[in-house]
Order: sequence, then C-alpha cells, then structure tokens
Amino acid sequence: MNPVPDLGHGVGLRREHFERVLEAPTRVDWFEVISENFMVKGGRPLHVLERVRRDYPVVLHGVSLSIGTTDPLDCDYLDRLRELASRVEPAWVSDHLCWTGVGGHNAHDLLPLPYTEEALDHVVARVAAVQERLGRRIALENVSTYLSFRGSTLPEWEFLSEVAVRADCGILLDVNNVYVSAANHGFDPRVYLEAIPHDRVWQVHLAGHTDHGSHLLDTHSRRVCDEVWELYRFASRSLGRVASLVEWDEQIPEWDVLQAESLRAREIRREALADRAADA
Amino acid sequence: MQRFPDLRAVQTLFWRLVSAPEGVRKGAAELTRVGALESEDLSFLVRPDARLGSTERLDVYADMYFYRLRDCLAEDFPKVAAWIGEARFHNLVTDYLLAQPPTHFSLRELGRALPDFLDAHALSGELPALADLARLEWARVDVFDDADATPLSREALLRSAAPPEELALVLIPSARLLSLDVSVLPLWKRLDAPGGRGADADGPHEGGEIRGVRVWRRGFEVFHRSLPADEECALASLASGGATLAELGELLVDCRPSGAAPDAARRLASLLDLWARDELLTRPH
Repeated sequence: MNPVPDLGHGVGLRREHFERVLEAPTRVDWFEVISENFMVKGGRPLHVLERVRRDYPVVLHGVSLSIGTTDPLDCDYLDRLRELASRVEPAWVSDHLCWTGVGGHNAHDLLPLPYTEEALDHVVARVAAVQERLGRRIALENVSTYLSFRGSTLPEWEFLSEVAVRADCGILLDVNNVYVSAANHGFDPRVYLEAIPHDRVWQVHLAGHTDHGSHLLDTHSRRVCDEVWELYRFASRSLGRVASLVEWDEQIPEWDVLQAESLRAREIRREALADRAADA
Repeated sequence: MQRFPDLRAVQTLFWRLVSAPEGVRKGAAELTRVGALESEDLSFLVRPDARLGSTERLDVYADMYFYRLRDCLAEDFPKVAAWIGEARFHNLVTDYLLAQPPTHFSLRELGRALPDFLDAHALSGELPALADLARLEWARVDVFDDADATPLSREALLRSAAPPEELALVLIPSARLLSLDVSVLPLWKRLDAPGGRGADADGPHEGGEIRGVRVWRRGFEVFHRSLPADEECALASLASGGATLAELGELLVDCRPSGAAPDAARRLASLLDLWARDELLTRPH
C-alpha cells in the first residue's frame, strides 16, 4: 500500500510562470518546487510559494541533499529543509539518489554513484539518518547517468530497489531518466521499470532530453519525447494511480505549452489505468 | 590496471577530474604527474565503450559542472559579463572556480565572493571599476530575497507621538549601503542602453573617486541610487543598529556637505519623506 496520496498531474513551478499561476486557475493538480530556491529569508519567491500553497498541493524537491557523498551530513542544510517543510507542509519531500560534491565542495550536479555493496550500505545508513533528522520519510529519484563505474557490481534498478526497501524510503521514478540511462548504457528500460518495487513509487517525473549523438543528455529543455510517453504508459499500467510531474528547466515555454504536457500525462495515465482494469 | 578504489577515493578522484580547469585529460595528466594516478588511462574507473571513452564520459560531467556554474554567474552578473565580453567572462569564471570552488548547498551563493575576487584579478588592472560593478550586481541579487520587514510609512512617522530622542528607526534588512567607484553608475546606464554591450561600448572611464550607493528592495522590486554624503552618513547609522530622530538630526549637521546650509531639521524632514516613500525604514525589534 502506497503511503502517499495520488496528487494527480502537476508541473515544476518556475519563476517564469509565477504571474500566470497566481493570476488565474490552472488545469494542473499540483506543483513541485526546488527546495533550495526557497531556503531564503524573504522576498518574492517565498511569497509566491505561500500563495500557491493556499490553492494547490506542493512537493519539495531538493537537489543538494547529496545522499551519496562520503562527506558528513550537512545538518544545517537538513535543519533548513525541515524548517521549510514545516512552513510549506508539502505532500512529501524528495531528492536524488546521487552525490553532489566531496571535500566540502558542491558541484551543483547530480553525480553518479558506483553501484557497489559499499555504496549501498553507505546510502542506506544516510537515508535513515536524514529521515530521522527531518522527522519524515523521503523519496529518492533515479538520476540520468553518462558513465558506468568499472567497480559497479549491481544493476542500477537493484541498487535503487535495495536502497528503498532497506532504508524504508519512497522512490521518485523519473521515467525520462530511465530512458536516458538505458540509451547511454544499453539496457532495456522496461526491465528497469518492472524490477523496482512498485508499492514504493510515490511519484513519477517526466521531462525532455537532448540527443548529443554519442549520448542522451537530461536537459529538461523540450517536450517529453514519444518514446518516453510510451514508457510512461508502460509504467502506469504497473504503478496504478501514482502522481506525475512534468519538469521543464531550460528554454522554458509559455505556460500553455507546459500545461499541455501535464494534460497529456493525465490522458496517458487514464488510458493505461483503463487497460490495466481491462487486463484484471 | 589500477585497482577500483573505495567510495571516498572514487568521489575525490571524480571531483578532481571534473573540476580540473583545463578538462579531464589534462586533469588526469596532472594527477598522474603528482602520483595520485598510476597512469592517465581512466578505464580502471569508468568503463569505456564504442561510443565514448572513459575520459570523454567524465568530460560530460566536467562540461556540465563548468557551464552550469558559468550560466549561473552570468545570470547574477549580466553587466560584468556584457562589459568584458564572452571570452573574458569565460576565463574569469575559470579563474574564480579554481580559486573559490562552490561550497554552499545553494547556487544562489555562488557569486558572493566574486566582487572581492575581482579586486585582486588582473582584469581589474585594465578595468578598475569592474569589481565595484560586480559589487553592485551582487547587492541587487542579495537583497532580492533577503528578509521581509514592515516598512514605516510617512503617515506612521507623522502619527508617532514619541519625542525625537526616543523615536528609534532602523534600515530594512533588504537594503545595502555600498561605497563604489564613481564611474559605476554611468557605466551601468551605458550597459543598459541599446547596443551598450561589450567592452567596445564602454565610454570614457576615469574612475578612482568613491561614492555611496544604496541598494534596496521595495515590495518585490530592487532599486539602487547614489547617495549624498549626509544621507550616506545617516543611513550608515540606521544600518548599524539604528538611530533616533534626534541622533539623525545631529549626524546630518556633522555630515553636511561643505557650503550647505545648516538647516538639519528641514534636511531630515526631506530625507524621512524620501526614505518612507522608498520603504527603507522600519522599527527596531
């Protein structure tokens, strides 16, 4: 039984759409915001977030938790995240299954982990510590990767599944990231989607990527491609009623274009759930 | 082949490679030279394939590291970037990241040290106002999301029954007082003008003299303007713990420009009016 509600279909809230979202109702069900952008003292971002929160469910999605780093946990960061969460009362809090820096540095990028037993033990212990410090469970997102480590001994989906089960956390399943990593490393994305524990998936991410010829790059700069929509349809048949979220972070389009992506997610999930019911 | 290291060593090596200023290949060569790597062949760490070698795969991350941070700095310092042009801004960012690799969890903080870094950078020899231009841009970034405060309106000031020696005021948190090269504000205007981008658009640049500037947020909008000496003096007092009306009056007498009429009461009334309109004043906690 999934412990979080189905929020329906949302989009990432970006400043380019602040005015539009505040001035009139939208056809999206909920918003996700980047946690760090709102860990500030005041000003317009917090004001907008509080206004949006009055009308919509909100999820806090972080990029700097760095759950996989071998540096000590950043307790100041965690305390500020906890404070923001108590202010916003999000439906849940999420971040990424990655590391973002070491030696006190922050690359501000979602860096890949070697899928080893050592890394697994390390991440599981840290998720437990983070959940205790935050006083809530979190969801971790699979990231797009552009390399595989020589020392990896587990497939990514096993690593993600083990983390979720052993640390008792949720999974934020980024379907585009599965597609990108599958293309970059030559695995079948459907194997990945079938292998993870479906009852731990709290949310799905959808986004566009860019084809660089030698590899795909997760750029969030365009519409979700047809192949990823089909993968989402496939995932939805297994996952059931799990919230979806469309991300768009570069070359951000007009609101209506972004909203249309969310509406498409709604339609595809509706069809997938009908197929699932028919199969049953 | 070198043995695959433990997680800490993997992360340390990865960081050193992707943050190397001249790319992963040269970074690996340098690490080999100092004995941190057995050889420049990185296949012990990253699996190569037919599409990309080990170095090229790490380069994907190296490029993302640099360009994300460069874009963030270009967003926070658009006028510095426009003034010095793309190539020199690229090199400046390279130098800055090497000297001040990011440590804060938020990208918002990335540029905080850039103005001081520019003070000692070679570019400031050529463009003496560059660090102060950066200082002004950073102050505007910094007040944008600084703490909110309830500003004192002109009416509230007039209604106050407290005597001047008891009516205490402070500057709002989302305000900064800067001392900048006198040429920065005209330069700012030139860079704002159509076609005013790049070093070629720069006008005469003498500089050298320092002038006070206040940067503040009114509502959600950020502004800046230059300060006469007496206003700078009074605002400095309001910023450092606050002052009463009576103290402000005395400061205005002490700091009045040479030759100005010593009518401190009228000057204070005029400044209070201006500050209230700009929503600069609040009551101390």
